[in-house]
Amino acid sequence: MSHNIKILPGATVCEDCTLEGDITIGGGTVIHPRVTIIAEGGPIIIAEYCIIEEYSTIIHKKSDKQENPPKALFIGAHNVFEVGCRLESIFGHIGEYNIFECRSFVGADVRIGSGCVVGAACCLTAQQTLADNTVIWGSQHHIREALEKQPSQLLQLDFLSKVMPNYHRLRKPNVHKRQPSRQSTEPAK
Amino acid sequence: MELQDTYYNKSEYVETASGNKVSRQTVLCGSQNIVLHGKVIVQSDAIIRGDLANVKTGRFCIISKGSVLRPPFKKFSKGVAFFPLQMGDHVFVGENTVVNAAVVGSYVYIGKNVVIGRRCVLKDCCMIEDNSVLPAETVVPSFARYSGSPARLITSLPEATPDLMTEFTKSYYQHFLPTATV
Repeated sequence: MSHNIKILPGATVCEDCTLEGDITIGGGTVIHPRVTIIAEGGPIIIAEYCIIEEYSTIIHKKSDKQENPPKALFIGAHNVFEVGCRLESIFGHIGEYNIFECRSFVGADVRIGSGCVVGAACCLTAQQTLADNTVIWGSQHHIREALEKQPSQLLQLDFLSKVMPNYHRLRKPNVHKRQPSRQSTEPAK
Repeated sequence: MELQDTYYNKSEYVETASGNKVSRQTVLCGSQNIVLHGKVIVQSDAIIRGDLANVKTGRFCIISKGSVLRPPFKKFSKGVAFFPLQMGDHVFVGENTVVNAAVVGSYVYIGKNVVIGRRCVLKDCCMIEDNSVLPAETVVPSFARYSGSPARLITSLPEATPDLMTEFTKSYYQHFLPTATV
């Protein structure tokens, strides 16, 4: 397995997590301990200011109809992955300001826009596209539209990036220059 | 009914002077902020986030495998604060449960795969059934039994709940034994 992990300056990434494959972590993102990110089907790019909490799993799955070279899984800025959520995706793009609540599951055939909330313990497996600002909650998987965008978690990020270095061993940023090429072209799709 | 003995590998657990049994496979972040009041069992792969705020548990608490105790945060106009997480005596937390509560009373039973939302308050003697989801800022009254997603009150608990929970957690502790070493 090729390990090609790029951590941009300003990111807080705990050492006690599993990162496999070609992963880029944007500045300002906080990754808590015991997170699993596996890029087996292609690179994963996580943009700025995401929070990824304990036991979350993000997998870029291998698929049969894979393009060559493999398409990157791009996760937009300001996404929150709460404790124990699982995201399996082969699609290229996840929007911004989404919240994946505790123990939610998002299967491989789900496309996600921006400002969506996947409620706690909700399980999305069928092929579907979540339009912007969709909120899904409860065991019946009720769906409604949020009236406004999800607030950003900048304040929490601020706090976490201040506190976490005091208690955890962190992975050091290993890219010191911004890479303008990939990051700026991806979201335009 | 007598509980079955559960055995654990002696080398895997650390036993403290106050009788806490803590697995080596747990993640205790910021351990100086975590107070376990004695005879507490913390099983493997549990995470207690003491780095965010203080976490206090009472006596005879059982934190099962894969569960996460993390103090809740609240947003203010000027920044965020994480609140301490307090837990009473004789609390059982089931496997793969996420507890974001502010206060958990005594004699509380929380089942498996439960999500307790941010800043919930669980009063003494209540029960959250397996696979429930308690929305953020819920207050669960005493002697209530909640179930479902989002969790609702289904029935009430018998008056003897404190005794039952005391019995249950104590006997769990007594039956949590190291494998016989030759």
